[in-house]
Amino acid sequence: ISGVPFRLKETQSSSCEKQVQEVALDGTETYVPPLSMSQNLAKLAQRIDFSQGSDSEEDGPDGESRDQDRDRDREWGKQEVEEEEGTVKFQPSLWPWDSVRNNLRSALTEMCVLYDVLSVVKEKKYMALDPVSQDPSAAKAPQVFQLISKKKSLATAAQLLLKGAEKLSKSVAENQENRRQRDFNSELLRLRSQWKLRKVGDKILGDLSYRSAGSLFPHHGTFEVIKNTDIDLDKKIPEDYCPLDVQIPSDLEGSAYIKVSIQKQAPDIGDLGTINLFRRTQKPKAGAQPWHVKLEAAQNVLLCKEIFAQLSREAVQIRAQIPHIVVKNQIISQPFPGLQLSISLCHSTADKKNSRSSPERTKPDDHLYVLEHNLHQMMREFHKQQLSSVVMPRPASAPFGHKRLRLAGPLAYDKAEISGLQQSEGLLEKIIKQAKHIFLRSRTAKTIDGLASRIEDPQIQAHWSNINDVFESSVKVLITSQGYEQICKSIQLQLNIGVEQIRVVHRDGRVVSLSHQEQELQDFLLSQMSQHQVHAVQQLAKVMGWHVLSFSNHVGLGAVESIGNASAVTVASPNGEYAISVRNGPESGCKVLVQFPRSQTKELPKSDVIQEAKWSHLRGPYKEVQWSRMEGRNFVYKMELLMAALTPCP
Amino acid sequence: MGVTCVCQVPVAEGKSVQQTVDLLHKKLEQMGAVKQGSFCVDCETYHATGNVSGQPSKLLYVMHNSETPLSCMALFEGGPCLVADGNFDVLMVKLKSHFQNAKGHKVECRGSRYRYCDFLIKVGTVTMSSSARGISVEVEYCPCVVPGDCWNLMKEFMQCFLSTSVPELPSVFAAKPEGLFAPADCVDTMTQYLELFNKLRKLQIPGSNVR
Repeated sequence: ISGVPFRLKETQSSSCEKQVQEVALDGTETYVPPLSMSQNLAKLAQRIDFSQGSDSEEDGPDGESRDQDRDRDREWGKQEVEEEEGTVKFQPSLWPWDSVRNNLRSALTEMCVLYDVLSVVKEKKYMALDPVSQDPSAAKAPQVFQLISKKKSLATAAQLLLKGAEKLSKSVAENQENRRQRDFNSELLRLRSQWKLRKVGDKILGDLSYRSAGSLFPHHGTFEVIKNTDIDLDKKIPEDYCPLDVQIPSDLEGSAYIKVSIQKQAPDIGDLGTINLFRRTQKPKAGAQPWHVKLEAAQNVLLCKEIFAQLSREAVQIRAQIPHIVVKNQIISQPFPGLQLSISLCHSTADKKNSRSSPERTKPDDHLYVLEHNLHQMMREFHKQQLSSVVMPRPASAPFGHKRLRLAGPLAYDKAEISGLQQSEGLLEKIIKQAKHIFLRSRTAKTIDGLASRIEDPQIQAHWSNINDVFESSVKVLITSQGYEQICKSIQLQLNIGVEQIRVVHRDGRVVSLSHQEQELQDFLLSQMSQHQVHAVQQLAKVMGWHVLSFSNHVGLGAVESIGNASAVTVASPNGEYAISVRNGPESGCKVLVQFPRSQTKELPKSDVIQEAKWSHLRGPYKEVQWSRMEGRNFVYKMELLMAALTPCP
Repeated sequence: MGVTCVCQVPVAEGKSVQQTVDLLHKKLEQMGAVKQGSFCVDCETYHATGNVSGQPSKLLYVMHNSETPLSCMALFEGGPCLVADGNFDVLMVKLKSHFQNAKGHKVECRGSRYRYCDFLIKVGTVTMSSSARGISVEVEYCPCVVPGDCWNLMKEFMQCFLSTSVPELPSVFAAKPEGLFAPADCVDTMTQYLELFNKLRKLQIPGSNVR
């Protein structure tokens, strides 16, 4: 390999020996450690003098072979270095920077050529450039071309913009669609948290029946969840729009309720039938989903239907003295003679026209809301009972059936206790009992109020207890005279109103049972009032210092009263001169007689028997007081005045 | 469940068991008692097998009373008693290896049930392997559960229709602690029945009286 373009400044001899780095004072030499291959290479590279490039042009064709050779030689050289340390034979072909140098050199050549060309062009002494006259057609062509190209570029730009716009609008639509989808899903999730749902095929079905709560009603109560898509995307979405809609069975649509009422007189049977009574539609609560409102209404319809079905089934099964009548959507029963309890199912479908056009009799609202509520409550209790009766027995060896019945064996329940556990009254029986009680209560209240407003003297007060049972309530009746409440407290009655009868408990513990007839109660209270007057006279006499000579609640003499018995009292003045006799009957009213001392009577016929003066101390005849002409607010006041008048001044 | 007294009524002289029972029924009906269905008390005997060291085998009596139709009473001879539900009978079959049913020892007492105000009267014939052994009368005073409080009343009532054969206070009640509230329960009734049955079982069959 010839033409090595560099010169080594130092000869190879220098590397024959190790360089001494330091000579210590004792004469030991420290050598510089021999250079490694790469260090050596770097050191040698530093020595290259690039400025002394040779002008030889003979690289190129054999460059490749030279490279190959160099590689091979380097391999060989490496071996050499390893063999004889420090002695590197510098062959120009082995130099690693050869290609770099060659490239730099060719670059330099190019640059020189460029420089020459530029100088030729620049310095006009070598070459001159003259403009050539241009063809006008040739000049026009570029304009057309320009136009075309402009148009084309504009078209492409427009296309790009259009594409972008399309993309944008698509993404907006997609977004909306996504949102709707998302809304549907979230609504579905909400629906699922409150209602039972299942997927059948590609439909989503729900269950609104009470079967899982223990209902035995055969209605399947299935509703379908549908996606509400009938809305125009371009138009504004209405406020109450909901992406989820439910489809309920057609027979559960609309609203329904159970109406319980008690009527006095029975209308003709022909008059019965579908009752058209509709409640005002309830406004849905704010914030509630439309589907929720719809489903709840449907569920309510279902429950009402179940209650009615149960009641009508019982009405047909139960044998009552007066059979219950089931006509269309009405059950009629007679709790008391001349009284009818009607339970009707009112179901209004969505079309309002129907209800408006029907001639609705505007009767006073005779709903018995308490009973309606109780019906619902009892139905739910029934459900709960059903549910609890199918629980698995615990312990496992116990028999199936009612929970409490499991204890019947080990606790040795007798027949009565077991039948008490098993006995279950029907819904209808219960509700009739409750209705009876409610009716009896209201009738009692009306009777007492009627008496209180009709009769001013004595006064009647009723204290109703707040805490009642569904089958029993009580009222305390006090009969007093105005102004004399403290001294006339003889009549205090406790009325326990049951289902069929009223039990009256007197203050002294006597018990009287009254039937449901209101006349009985009225007569009883009237007789009590008349007794009260006589009692009041007795009490007053004690206060006034008079002596009670005789007292009788039930007088056997005189006219026979149609209600109860008359009562009588006789009181004598403190000095015994006068006596007042009072007879008071519930019907005949009061009769007051005053007995004068014999001495005061003038027209007393002379008797043959009573001659002596001492007989003048005998009591004289009675004279009736014209009671209605007496002065005074009430009976007791009049009596007080009379007593005061007959008491001599001290 | 009130206080119950079970006693045996001797068969009237020259009369059969059935005739004596009819006589009692007539007496009760004359008093104004109302018949209310029938009743049945049965008793099965089990031998406890596999007892240790040659002790006499204990007896277990399993009894039913129609008054407590869902229960089953098991009484150990002179020992503890147990009240269980109807499944106990099935359990006894499973325990065959420990308790063997003495087939011939089944005792039954059947008859009619009368109510007289607060009293329940049950007149029954005790049959043992299809032969009538005697007459039982059970009187229950329902409103009270403390035997000491109502025993005199019951005694007086029983005198009305049993005349001479009025029993003394049953031993189950006599054993109850006084002063403490120790209510009578169904086990007391069954113990009295068991005593009656055992008494009748030991009795020789007086051939002429039994059909």
